[in-house]
Formats: sequence, structure tokens, C-alpha cells
Amino acid sequence: MARVLLKNVTKKFGDVIAVRRLNLEIKDGEFMVLLGPSGCGKSTTLRMIAGLETPTEGEIWIGDQLVNEIDPTKRNTAMVFQSYALYPHMTVFGNIEFPLRMTGAPKQERAKKVKEVAEFLGISELLNRKPSELSGGQQQRVALARALVREPEVFLLDEPLSNLDAKIRTQMRFELKKLLSYDLGITTIYVTHDQVEAMTMADRIAVMNKGVLQQVGTPNEIFYKPANTFVGTFVGSPPMNLIEGEIIVKDNKTLFNAGEFLLELPIEMEAREKVILGFRPQHVEVNKDAKEGFVKGKLLGIEKLGVESYGHIPYGNLEVVVQLPESMGTSVKEVHWKPRADRIYIFDAKTRELIYG
Amino acid sequence: MTPKEKELLIRRIWVVITYVVLLTFALVYLMPFIRSLIASFMTWAQASRYPPEWMPSPFTLENYQKLFRLELFPRWIRNTTLYAGLIVAGNIMFTSMAGYAFARLKFPGRDVLFSALLSLLMIPMFVTLVPNYIIIYKLGLIDNIFGLALLGLTNVSSIFLMRQYFMSLSTEIFEAARLDGCGPIKSFFYIALPLARPALGAVAVYQFLGSWNAFIGPLIFLRSPENFTLPVGLSFAFQRSMWTEYTPIIAGSLVASAPTIILFLVLNKYLIRGIVVTGGKG
Repeated sequence: MARVLLKNVTKKFGDVIAVRRLNLEIKDGEFMVLLGPSGCGKSTTLRMIAGLETPTEGEIWIGDQLVNEIDPTKRNTAMVFQSYALYPHMTVFGNIEFPLRMTGAPKQERAKKVKEVAEFLGISELLNRKPSELSGGQQQRVALARALVREPEVFLLDEPLSNLDAKIRTQMRFELKKLLSYDLGITTIYVTHDQVEAMTMADRIAVMNKGVLQQVGTPNEIFYKPANTFVGTFVGSPPMNLIEGEIIVKDNKTLFNAGEFLLELPIEMEAREKVILGFRPQHVEVNKDAKEGFVKGKLLGIEKLGVESYGHIPYGNLEVVVQLPESMGTSVKEVHWKPRADRIYIFDAKTRELIYG
Repeated sequence: MTPKEKELLIRRIWVVITYVVLLTFALVYLMPFIRSLIASFMTWAQASRYPPEWMPSPFTLENYQKLFRLELFPRWIRNTTLYAGLIVAGNIMFTSMAGYAFARLKFPGRDVLFSALLSLLMIPMFVTLVPNYIIIYKLGLIDNIFGLALLGLTNVSSIFLMRQYFMSLSTEIFEAARLDGCGPIKSFFYIALPLARPALGAVAVYQFLGSWNAFIGPLIFLRSPENFTLPVGLSFAFQRSMWTEYTPIIAGSLVASAPTIILFLVLNKYLIRGIVVTGGKG
């Protein structure tokens, strides 16, 4: 078990900067998710920790050891790849046994450990099969077993669920979390672009974009205190509404002028030009009838997602998405809405950083 | 005629045309072989007649009998087998290593080196014949199967084929092996080599065919009849000072090509695999 520390880590591929001055600490036993869109540098970060890439600048520490110059074979990290990367010419037993064989462990001990870990993951009956004879979920488990069998200090997972179909993915999500955090308590770094995976599994999430770390925090912090508009829109579905405009103060009231509509904000703030108002579709009060402080809107369409339904309301080039109350039905054409006071975010339009919320 | 029937008819006509074209070409390519087969049962007098005759008369096994009366015939087969065996073994060993290095390892000058290697394909063998002869001569290995085999232990096309094959394997498997504790050498033996069986098969088949039928090399580097390989031996045995007795040579060539034909029939999927991997001739 070990903590992982990244100090000012930069990785360049030619002129392209994949990761820029990244500082991040993953605590001992923590489940850290690196979240971001493709090409944001999250996989590169993971590969640098594994030792498959060398950082251009900066330091990587695992435990008390600076590992920049240490060969990946000696870092005691294990990795599960997106494609699982099982050895196709070996049986499941051979695959799980392989890392132990490379350490030169005696044969009996190897067999014992393989059986233990296979039993632990419920794949004992598959030991004599070849990877090509397994389903995606089974291959996934074999890949996990191979990574776990040598008891690594740090466990690295690169989009391990993205090749599975939706139903197994949901099931494996919980199983993985249970296994790694509750049963083993192993330091885990998990890369994904799926915000639902991040929210459900992580102790803490590190959101990255274009090689730059945007925010680190617990799922709650990331969701309720997004540091900037990128985090606000990347996490949460449908994404946060962002409306450009200005704050004006009139008769001691704080108003947000979006151009298309004027909204009274139940907060105290100084007048300010060029801001972005942010609020989540779920954090909106919606009414059929007009009410004071509510904005009128014509519904363009309604998206039904089972219990929840979301209404799309156009204002010129802008579209606001709000969650409609279950009782409202789908025949409404016009609604009145207002963001909830405690869930309003104001971002600076230029830096796109949070200034209120 | 309904449009459907018309379409069916057009399709049938196309099939017929395709078959006629294919059969014509197949016949053109097969003709020398068929001619050899027939001629091997003719007397030399009949076989050399013009216009060519197609029915052996008299039908004779004399050519084959001449062949098996040759004292050195078994010895030549043994030499050829040894030569082909050495070439195949050498190629499997060295080209897999070289291909792996070019495909999977990072070292300075790798791509320049590989381009240089590929450019060797453009140099005709006759250019290097004399320098090679001098080298083998200085090593004291003229008239020696091992000396001859030394020149063919590795081969640019085979290296290329192996490299392409290793590049086609998933990178993640090698990265996983690296994290599992494999350095580049262990990962070659435990991962790359077992996965390369189809490509190794292709290399082996190509090299076997090439070395079994090789003529120029053995002709130049071997001197005494008892060291000859089959193709050189046959032409030696039936070449007179003023003329050549071709029919026993033809019979001998047919006997000699038997193993390659069998090999082709058994392993042609590897040959095709080799072509697919390199996107061209293997």
C-alpha cells in the first residue's frame, strides 16, 4: 500500500503538451478517479505512474520512493488495460500465473496464489480456458486477477469498463469499488471519461482537460462546487446550464440580465459585467402558472428519461434545460422557471472560474 | 423475360466469363509443369522434336531409372535437405529477433537502419556475388554446405515480414507484459515468439522453397559433385560437353519438387498469411 505523489509533472510528445505541470496526491488506500474527455491527458498520467511513459519534467513518487528512473517492472504497480491485454496464447491459469512466474516464485506457491485469487474473483472454473473463449466480463475478471495476484501497492485501471455492455458495466462498477476499496483497501487510480463511473466509484475525482488539472475533490465537491465552467458542464447529466450576461443591482435587488430575459437572483452581489450564470437542470423550480420572479418560457420539446423528464426552452440562440416536475405531464407548452437560490453559480466570463456558488 | 430472369442470366454469363479467364490463366501457368510431366516419360529425341508432341511414344521410365542409377542422387537430396534446414532454422532465429527489435524496441537510429536494410532489396544478388565469394573463400568455406548456408541465414524480406507481424500485435499486450515483469528479452520469448507462429510458418515455407530450388548460389560456392545440392547436381549429371540431356533433368526436377509441392499444399494458408501481413510478396 502506498500513496502516489505527482509534483509538477509535464509530458510533451514533440510539440504537443499532453500533461502540463500536474500536481496531485493520491493518498494511501484512496480510490482516485482521473476524469476528462479523450485527449485530456488522463491516460498519459496513468501511464507515467505505471512507467510506460517517462515524464518530460517533474517528479513521480510512489510511497517514499522517487520512481522517475525506476523501471516499470520494479515499481510494484499493476494495471488493467481497456482491452484487458490478456495473453491470447496462454490459458486463464497461465495468464494469472504469469507475473508470478516472472518474479521466479516457486511453482507450488504460484499455483496456490492463482487458485486463491481465482476463487476470490469467482473464476475458478475458467482456469483451463483460453481468453478467446471468455465473455467480456470474464476477461475483465481475469485481467483483474492477473493484476491482483502479485499484490501490488498501486492499482491502475485505464477505462476498464468501457468495452462492456451497459448492464454488466453497472454491475462491475459496484463490484470493482467493493473489491478495491472495501475488501482490499488498495491505492487505486482509475481513468475514465464517464462521469457516472467517476461519481459512483471515487473517493476523490481529479478532473482534467487539455492536459491541465481543473479540480480535485470528492464527488460531492465536484458536483456542488465546480471550480469552473468545464467541471460544471462535464460532470452531471444533462450538463449545467450556462448563460452569459451581466449582473445589475437595482433597488437593492440583484438581477441577472441575459439579454433575452431578466432574472432576479436571490443572492447578494455587486454589479458586474460579463459573467456566466450556471445552474443545473435539476436545481430549478418549475411552475405552470406565472409567479413573481419566475421566467416565462415556451417548451421546444420534452425528453423523457423514465422518472425524470427535461424540458428544453429556447431563448434566441440560447437553450435552457430544466427538469420538469413529475406531476406536470408531457402536454405542457409553456412553463415558468427559476433556479434554486442555494444552487446558483456565477462564473467569470473571461477566466470561466467560479466567483460565486 | 422478366427483369429478374434477365439479371440472373447476366450474372450467369459473368460467372462463365470469369471462369474462362481464370482457367485460361491457370492453364498458361500450369503449362510448363504439364509439359515437364509429359516430357519426363519421353525419350530425349521425342521431347526435343518440333512441333512439340504431347503423347509419349514410346512411353518410357528410362529417365527416372537414369536418375536413380546416379550414385550421388541420395547424397544430393541429403545436401539439399541440410542446406534448406540450415536456411530455415537460421531465418526463423535471426529474422524473428531482428523483426522484433525493429517493431518493438526503441533505439537510436532504428528507422534509418531499417530503411537501409530495406534498400538492400534493390541490390541484385549478382552485385554481391563476388564480394560474398571472397568472404567465404577467406573463411575457407568454399565447397562447404555450411559456408553456402552462412550467406542465407537471414533475409531482408523475412525481417520485413516479421517486423510487420510484430507491429500488427496489440501494443497493450507488450505493455502488460512489461508491467508483469518482462524485460524486452523475456517478452520476446514468452509473448512475441509464441504469438508469431503464423508469421514464422510463412518465413519457414518461403525460405524452404527458396533454398530447396536455389541454383546460382550452390553452383558458384560448391565445387565437388559430392557436395552439390539437387538442382546443381542434376544439371551436372546430364550436361555433356556439346549438349544437355534434358529429359532426366526434367524427371529429376519433378522428383525434387515433390517436397515443395507437398509443403505448399499443406501450408499454403501460412503463405497467404505471409502475403497478407506484408501486403505483398513475402
